[in-house]
Amino acid sequence: MANERLRALEEVEKEIAMVLQCAGNIVMELSKDKHNASLLDRQLVQFQSSVNRVESELSGQIRYLTQVATGQPHEGSTYSSRKDCQMALNRAEYAKVKLGELGRTCEVMLEPPPAQQT
Amino acid sequence: MATQRALPQSKESLLQNYNKRLKDDIRSILDNFTEIIKTAKIEDETQVSRATQAEQDHYEMHVRAANIVRAGESLMKLVSDLKQFLILNDFPSVNDAISLQNQQLRSLQEECDKKLTSLRDEIAIDLYELEEEYYSSSYNQWDSVDLPLCEAYRRRDSWASVGSSRSSSQGEQEETEGPLQQDVNSQHHLNGHAGAASIEKP
Repeated sequence: MANERLRALEEVEKEIAMVLQCAGNIVMELSKDKHNASLLDRQLVQFQSSVNRVESELSGQIRYLTQVATGQPHEGSTYSSRKDCQMALNRAEYAKVKLGELGRTCEVMLEPPPAQQT
Repeated sequence: MATQRALPQSKESLLQNYNKRLKDDIRSILDNFTEIIKTAKIEDETQVSRATQAEQDHYEMHVRAANIVRAGESLMKLVSDLKQFLILNDFPSVNDAISLQNQQLRSLQEECDKKLTSLRDEIAIDLYELEEEYYSSSYNQWDSVDLPLCEAYRRRDSWASVGSSRSSSQGEQEETEGPLQQDVNSQHHLNGHAGAASIEKP
């Protein structure tokens, strides 16, 4: 849920860039001797829709935060479960090390004795 | 020299400030853009010469374009502030994120422990067989007090059937006495290992 809201805000940032780009395209088209009316209309419609989308989305986010925010700091944490998981991984690593030592010991024992030099 | 500390704003005033910034920036973009379009209109009758009017319009358009860009940047800053406020104060999503993370970590820990437990059970079975093989061989160095696992099980089984255990123990003694006379070097070599094994035993 948090990722969705943050993703929506990133989309709003892209819309703001789109607003500025549309405004620049319209002014650039108007600076020409012969204007392309259809391009102007398209850019204008996109400019207006982007501005409206930015305003509505940001207003919605601020309204949601007005309902949800308490002003108090959040005191939850994942420390305990993270520590337990870390200890489990340490146990697994220790078992792996010990099994490795056992394997090497068995290999040493199974190796044929070196031939005695006469 | 007294240091000045900025007082923390309350939640309501902060959100009102965000609303105000949003309204002002959107209004600035729309107004300035509208004025640029109006200024672009060519008028035949002007109060000053055409060159002067053109220069004035040029400067005005520059300023208004700069205002639009400033308002756009201010909106980006507002979005950044809203993201920060959301991360810190959106408690439902923070709670969901924490519970999801806890669940994932807990499942990983349980899976790890389950695999370690199954590994322990498998190794215990192999260890039983290895001890049985080792302590029934000629390199048996165990003390009667410190019983190996296989011997403990065997003695427990022998209590149920006394006659069969007597004959098997006599056979084991004959087996251990013979090979003990052979291969003294390897016995010393294994003594070191046996000593290490006995030390490592809990």
